[in-house]
Amino acid sequence: MPKSMPEATLLLRAAAKYLENELLPTLDGYHRFKTRVTANALHIVSRELMMRAAQEVEERKRLVDLLGHEGSVQELSGELCEKIRGGAFSLDDPRLREHIRESLHHALEINNPKWLTR
Amino acid sequence: MSNDDFVARLQAAVARHIGAPGTVHNFQRLTGGANKTTYSFDADIGAKREPFILQVPAPAPPPDENDPLAEYSVRISGDQDARLMIAAVKAGVPAPRVRAIFSEADGVDVGWVTERIEGETLMPRVLREERYASARKIMAAQCGEILARIHKIDLAEVPFLKYLSAARQIESYQMTADLLGLKLPALELTLRWAKENLPVNPRHTVVHGDYRAGNFIVGDEGIRCILDWEGAQAGDPMQDMGWVCVKTWRFGGRGPVGGFGRREDLFWAYEKASGHQVDPLHVRFWEAFGSTRWAIASLRLGTRGIEEVDIERSAIGRRIEEPLWDFLGLVEGRD
Repeated sequence: MPKSMPEATLLLRAAAKYLENELLPTLDGYHRFKTRVTANALHIVSRELMMRAAQEVEERKRLVDLLGHEGSVQELSGELCEKIRGGAFSLDDPRLREHIRESLHHALEINNPKWLTR
Repeated sequence: MSNDDFVARLQAAVARHIGAPGTVHNFQRLTGGANKTTYSFDADIGAKREPFILQVPAPAPPPDENDPLAEYSVRISGDQDARLMIAAVKAGVPAPRVRAIFSEADGVDVGWVTERIEGETLMPRVLREERYASARKIMAAQCGEILARIHKIDLAEVPFLKYLSAARQIESYQMTADLLGLKLPALELTLRWAKENLPVNPRHTVVHGDYRAGNFIVGDEGIRCILDWEGAQAGDPMQDMGWVCVKTWRFGGRGPVGGFGRREDLFWAYEKASGHQVDPLHVRFWEAFGSTRWAIASLRLGTRGIEEVDIERSAIGRRIEEPLWDFLGLVEGRD
């Protein structure tokens, strides 16, 4: 499929910029709060579009290493969940901890990068 | 019912329960949540004008036999919230003083009127503004002392409080994730950790259930009042002690207790006021498990159906990793 221009991330950032720089200063109370939340949601989607594909490649690689076979991120994560629940991994397993820490770090880079420096 | 009509009936009910003439001024809606609506008003009682809060609980939804999570609900209903606050005040807790409990016979909704206490509930202000500097120094100890009193409320006076053990709470969170089809290894890790670290032989007391910064009214001199009693339950008192330390409720502040204070001050003040020794590892269980609780709450809020979709709630769904990240930090000793 030919890609439309400008890119989705640019459209989202333009929309967020309008909300934050032009609309927000004219608002207060309820709508000021909701508009801030809305602009933030656009930033989240924009970061997801930019970063998620590369993160998923790394995530899959870590899951394949941990579980010892191929599969999609979705399938492998489901299997890992069952193994954690069933006790097949020790909670102190450094590779398990590393995978979970990395996955959370990646998700926070998209959803709320500020949380990582709190 | 029109607003004027409602105010007229409120006035009559205030006159009957609190004092004549009961004339209502400045009636306004403050917040409307899923569980209750809160209004503020002033009323003339004798020659004095007094500040009040009116709270109206949402009618309890009919029991849904198909909801497998229903049996885990500890939700209180009707006027139980008010009856608990009355018991709390009696035990010396700074809770809102209940002035009247209305029933349908009063011609207004079932609800209750409390005194209105002035002060700040927005934590970013409490943590930042100079006027609260001395309050911030003593609030962790205050949190401990007040909590000790909450845990002394006689359970026999509030027999409607329900008990859900930590093990059953874990089950309900597991079920919530399963029903939504969420496959999140980080969440599984916290649930398994909780199973392996369950507190042994906890005491059994009244538990506030949502004891945290943001639910306190703060003045220049410190905590004035403890709000939001609708999450109350019977159970392990250390649940409250851990919840007040959960990082989500620090609002960016440095202190582990509510962003303003030290755990040591919370603990010694609690020990002194309650006569019970605090085991820091026991509290840590509830703090870590509190992160799981908030992760599940954001998941539930963020995954309502499209009919109920709302940008604020949906955005909360994207906060699930924050408490899971904090969980790792806590159990790996970085916090």
